[in-house]
Amino acid sequence: MTTSVPANTGEHALEEPSFPVNFVTDLLKAFVKAVRAHQLYLPNNPMHARSLEAVRDAFAAMWNHTDELDLQIVETQLKWEGRVVLDEGERTSDNIAWLLYKDGIRELKLLKGFEEEELGIFFNLLHAVRKATDEDDDLLTLMWEREFANLQYRYVDLTAESGPGVESMERAEQKEKILSPAQVEAGLESTTSSLAKLDDFDSTLYFLDDREVEYLHQEVKREFSTDLRPAVIASLLDTFETQKDPTVREEICGLLDYFLLILLSTAQYRNAAYLLREASVTANRAQDVLEPQKQRLTQLGELMSDPKPLGQLLQALEDSPLRAPQMELDEMFGILQPRALETILSWIGRSNNPQLKMLLEVAASRLAASNSAELIRLIGSDDEAVVTEAIKRAAALKSPAAVPALGKMLTVGEPDMRLAAVTALTEIGSPGAMQMLERALIDDDREVRIVAVRALGAKNSRAALPRIETAIKGKDLREGDLKEKMAFFEAFGLLSGDAGTTLLDGILHAKGFMGKRDDSEFRACAAMALGKINSTKAIESLNRAAGEKDVIVRNAVSRAIRGGGS
Amino acid sequence: MTGGPVTQSPREGDKQSGATVRRGGRNFMVAFYAALRAIKLYPLEHSAVQKTLVELSQVAEELRAEEGELEFRISGEFIFLNSTRLRLDLSNYATFGHILTLCKVAGIGAIHVAPRGTAKDWTLLLSLLGGETKSSPTDRFKEITTRLKDAGIETFQLDPPTETQTDREFNEEAKAAANRTYSQSVAVTKDVINSVRIGKTPNIRKIKRVVQGIVDQVLNEETSLIGLTAIRDYDEYTFTHSVNVCIFSIALGRRLGMTKLQLYELGLAALMHDIGKSRVPLDVLQKTGELTDEEWRWMAAHPWLGVLVLFQFRRQQDELSYRAMTVCHEHHMKIDLTGYPKTIRPRQPSVLSKIVTIADGYDAATSRRVYKTEPLAPSAVLEEMRDNPRRGLDQVLVKAFINLLGIYPVGTLVVLDTFELAIVSAANPNPEALSRPIVKIISDAQGNTISPPLTVDLAVPEAGGQYARSIIKTADPERYGITVGDYLI
Repeated sequence: MTTSVPANTGEHALEEPSFPVNFVTDLLKAFVKAVRAHQLYLPNNPMHARSLEAVRDAFAAMWNHTDELDLQIVETQLKWEGRVVLDEGERTSDNIAWLLYKDGIRELKLLKGFEEEELGIFFNLLHAVRKATDEDDDLLTLMWEREFANLQYRYVDLTAESGPGVESMERAEQKEKILSPAQVEAGLESTTSSLAKLDDFDSTLYFLDDREVEYLHQEVKREFSTDLRPAVIASLLDTFETQKDPTVREEICGLLDYFLLILLSTAQYRNAAYLLREASVTANRAQDVLEPQKQRLTQLGELMSDPKPLGQLLQALEDSPLRAPQMELDEMFGILQPRALETILSWIGRSNNPQLKMLLEVAASRLAASNSAELIRLIGSDDEAVVTEAIKRAAALKSPAAVPALGKMLTVGEPDMRLAAVTALTEIGSPGAMQMLERALIDDDREVRIVAVRALGAKNSRAALPRIETAIKGKDLREGDLKEKMAFFEAFGLLSGDAGTTLLDGILHAKGFMGKRDDSEFRACAAMALGKINSTKAIESLNRAAGEKDVIVRNAVSRAIRGGGS
Repeated sequence: MTGGPVTQSPREGDKQSGATVRRGGRNFMVAFYAALRAIKLYPLEHSAVQKTLVELSQVAEELRAEEGELEFRISGEFIFLNSTRLRLDLSNYATFGHILTLCKVAGIGAIHVAPRGTAKDWTLLLSLLGGETKSSPTDRFKEITTRLKDAGIETFQLDPPTETQTDREFNEEAKAAANRTYSQSVAVTKDVINSVRIGKTPNIRKIKRVVQGIVDQVLNEETSLIGLTAIRDYDEYTFTHSVNVCIFSIALGRRLGMTKLQLYELGLAALMHDIGKSRVPLDVLQKTGELTDEEWRWMAAHPWLGVLVLFQFRRQQDELSYRAMTVCHEHHMKIDLTGYPKTIRPRQPSVLSKIVTIADGYDAATSRRVYKTEPLAPSAVLEEMRDNPRRGLDQVLVKAFINLLGIYPVGTLVVLDTFELAIVSAANPNPEALSRPIVKIISDAQGNTISPPLTVDLAVPEAGGQYARSIIKTADPERYGITVGDYLI
């Protein structure tokens, strides 16, 4: 549709306008364009900004001639001083004049200054009513709520009921004579007449002192800064508890379902948590509740711990920056049940939102701590992300109950999982955990073996010594890398004490077949282990190797002598 | 053009400059009042007096310079500054009321302030204005103008009170607008309640428009609308009651300094406070005899039923409906949370609920209903609200409510010491004259009807400083065969 300004046919009889009409028509053209740009583009779009600037320029040009612009709205046209200044033809929501007219607005007065902040607000309203359904607020209602300072309007209230006027209300005939007070009072014991009391004339009784005025101001301030949702939740639940009629209770259950969804979709997490918590209290406290209704209330809270609803919540939090106050989220997460742990654990690894991640970590720790059985079950989950996080929680909690599950993981898990499991077992540090770690000494994965042997050494798990000794004596370790050799030798040194000196001395000094010694790295590791033992015998063995020609061995020996193998 | 009459958005004049004048006007009134008080308390040469006078002359001069003129005018219960009406609220009503009364007693309708008025000029004007007098307002006006002239002061030009064409038009328009607003509000309320009763979702937009109209009317000219609350249509009680409670609540909220949008929220909640009755069987609502226990349970259920009903308005789950729900639920609770419905969870009653409770209690007690053919006199109801702690009302709000309605509220039939019969048509805007309302005298001492009724401000003394008329007692309109509402439309 094109915006047209028709020739002023038949308007020749009009008086000269107070200033050239083109200032108004130019303004309205720019206005119409800007309204469309406002609809089509986001505020950060240059088109949006340019269109607004064009309207402001047009306003500025017009304000050189006047301080206010009066526009009449006649169906699809806008008129100024009797002239049509905008005619968009059809009665559609694209037609600004019609948009105003259909909601009852008949005259607009724009005052200087309107183009500053209120222009954008007005555009928003036009945009809103374009999309409005019959049930939404109309333009008139919205404009009233905005309290424009530089936009005035005249309207017809199309929603007004044509009810009987007050004049038509019950009205008695006027009498010429009314009984005089003397006649009425004579012989009457009136219950509703009363003599004016002296106190009543003391107006000061009704003066509000400063304290009272302050109290009222504070009450009003409190009212409009208080979130009323908890009061409404309390109303519903109090009614549920006090009214035993099952029909009423059924209706309330339905409202609570609905209200919960509203609260969640509007990020009212604290209130949602309150609703769930109190629904559960009500389910347990209310008298004579039908079992299905009791279950509905109870299930409300449980529902949130189900994977789908909770997943939705986490999705919502992930998708938007966490605007909800931490405390609200804490409360929401605080009501989750252990069943929620799996969903939460699966989200920790997936989330890219650091705030959400932190929140999930806290919630996971709480839920894991309160239900180790669920945690253990999750160590066996099919979802790797869940397993990883579950193992981490088990580690953090140092939960001995998790040992068997972790042990199982060592036999069935992928290397990463096995590594996580040995780390967790190390943290747990119980005798059972140490036993499991011993098994890991022969794990296929080098990292797993290293972590396990280090842990066993550090935890002084002497029971592991034979297995470590076997490894040292075995062929596989000789073929391993330095890091692994070091780990095994150091652990051996820590666990064996002086009793291990002979074996280590043999490795450091003894010549093998054809007078060939062990390789340098292996001997250096033995030296370091002797340093760990740090007994007279061990030092003596090291001193004997002080003149070693092999640089690697000599360096290891001197480090071991100086630092006891550390 | 279809629809009702074209209506102007709140008659505020030029809103932007109006706001500036109102701000400046408030400062001027405060300075004026401070100077009056200082003159009353201390000798003229006292530094406190001089300081307030200098301040007053400066404020006046600044305002005059900014606006190009300074005219202070009294019209009815309103004070206008350069044709912008100054708004009354909790923080200024005493100041405004005092000045209003002094001007009325002095027979002054307007004061034009010329440029460069000095503190000395103001000293004489305020001394005369605040001085004791036994003269009638007309004589006093002459005395003051003569004294100013003799002193050679030309800063002030005083005019006697005149009801200008504009005032008359304003009053007529205000009255017509009030009637229109009131009848539309009743019609919409009826539509809403009946819609809910038959299971239809009511038109929320209509409700909003109605409340917007009441807020505009109260902000613009509340007296006419408050006057209409006294009509008490017996047949339409359920609907008129909701509208009356809405009007009283908004008017009281305004006194508390609430903003326009806050009044709007209060009004919506107040209009909907009894919406739960739409679920109470009609035979219970309309029963004339004593209610059985079961019937009483139905009646006592209407607050929480209201919450359930408001949940049906699903498209408006916003702050407004939560507020309305809270008010619905709490409006029969006492401040200690007794009353009904029973509360289990801790809650702090909303101040809006406390306001609506007062408005509801007052309107219900002063109305004639199916089961109560003899309503109580408005003044008696206020007295009971003030004195009966078992009502569990917020006493500070009750005080503010009495301040709003006066000791003899609109619609009270009173016998004057002249043995004339009169109906209170408006509270006196001067809070120091709450017991001296504006009345319509409807018959003389012999019972002869005065038609049209004579409107008299009982706070204005006659020559000699005595009051021409005083209230000696309230009376029961039934005894006199009077329908009070007939005189208030």
